[in-house]
Amino acid sequence: MASRSLLQFLSGFSRPAVGNASLRLFSSTSVCRATLQTHNVIERAPSPWTLMAAVCLQRLPVISADCSPIEQQFRQMMHQMEQEKSLLSDHELQLLEDAERMSRKQADDYDSDREDDHGDQEIVLAQDLEDSWEQKMKSFQPALRVTADADQDLTSSERCLADSLVLLAEQQVGGEPLWLLPQARWQEGETLRQTAERALASLPAGLKATFLGNAPCGVYKFKLPQAARTESTVGTKVFFFKAVLSDCGGPPAGPGGPLLWAKKGELRRYLKPAYMTKVDRFVLGL
Amino acid sequence: MSAALSRGLCRALSRHTAPSSLLLGGHHRAGLSPWFAPVMTLKTSAPLRAEPKKKKKVDPRREHMLKERMRKKLKKMEKVAPEFIPLDDLITPTKCLDETRLERSAPRLSFGESEGRALLLKEWCRYKQEQHMAEVQAVELALEAQREALEELKLESEELYQAALKPDPLLFPFTHEGPAYTPPKSKYEAPDGKYNDITKVYTQ
Repeated sequence: MASRSLLQFLSGFSRPAVGNASLRLFSSTSVCRATLQTHNVIERAPSPWTLMAAVCLQRLPVISADCSPIEQQFRQMMHQMEQEKSLLSDHELQLLEDAERMSRKQADDYDSDREDDHGDQEIVLAQDLEDSWEQKMKSFQPALRVTADADQDLTSSERCLADSLVLLAEQQVGGEPLWLLPQARWQEGETLRQTAERALASLPAGLKATFLGNAPCGVYKFKLPQAARTESTVGTKVFFFKAVLSDCGGPPAGPGGPLLWAKKGELRRYLKPAYMTKVDRFVLGL
Repeated sequence: MSAALSRGLCRALSRHTAPSSLLLGGHHRAGLSPWFAPVMTLKTSAPLRAEPKKKKKVDPRREHMLKERMRKKLKKMEKVAPEFIPLDDLITPTKCLDETRLERSAPRLSFGESEGRALLLKEWCRYKQEQHMAEVQAVELALEAQREALEELKLESEELYQAALKPDPLLFPFTHEGPAYTPPKSKYEAPDGKYNDITKVYTQ
């Protein structure tokens, strides 16, 4: 219901008086309705560009990044300042009290009747509690932040957990294998996003992703060399769609083009320069 | 008996008033009648009839009104506004206001240290500003790339362009687990935590 109303709100810019809209609302979102109508009347000339859609699949960081030197310094300083300004907590007060009581017990003129104690009840010292907590923490082994082997393995999506990785596939383009974002050719009757989804599904590894929206995030135009140009094809336009990896799935099933996960800095090594400049813009290295 | 008395009274009164009437002149009847009238009507006036007093209808109504008013006043007094539920987080417990808590000996910072802190704060400010500017630039670049892509798509085909502009209803609500300090352990069974729930439940 909420998504429906969101749809209505977003698409009702030029038609504020839309009542109980049915699915027909999908087709009435045009900002320039006139051009659409003329398009329907005039036959569309086939464009000389072949359309392809590629998916920019990102694995977002799993652990927090290491602090830079200035960040470490600042963190230390803030910790000190906060400690200075703070008050003693209940636990710390209890510790002090216990220490005082122990020192009184050790003193020569100790009178146990004076103590307003709990009598026969066993007193649990706060220090003991603290020690038991420390023991528990030590017995728990968290997973390692950095595993050197996993970092080197380019095909595993577990490498470099602190950075966001982009999936690259080696595909045959014009006869030669090239490293690029997984792409597929557009077919009639499907939207570009569906093409991108098909491109992702065609990869051997069972990767599940959430596509972020219907609009492409970037485009790469590639003009074929003069020799290969024909009447109908001048070149290709590749539209990129962003997706976020939601599930790694099982181990890569079946052969296919090799895949690798690359950080933003490493993309330069694999992609062609012109392609790289276009891709660099929308792959955020934040 | 009363008749005889009244007649006697009449005669006495008339004898008394006769010379006065002669003096007055021709006002016999008028002089006599005021004396007569009250005597004659003595018998027939309502107070002498000795009937029980009739309770007028106004009284029960008035009493009813009075009772209603009293009842309404009582209701208003009983209608106390419901007390607000106290927010435990916003009430400072009195233990914290205790002066004896502030026992951490505040160390006196040397001049060098305080200077160092001030300089570090300034550096941090600069560092954060650079970070922010870089972020803003990156976002702008990405937006520019998207705008170009949409332009190219529009040149290509109108319907694909329209399809790209449509919002995706399945995208939201979108959730993603943020980065933690250590990566998740595979095949880790978290122990069941036992706890006593001591939250206070207030009813209004």
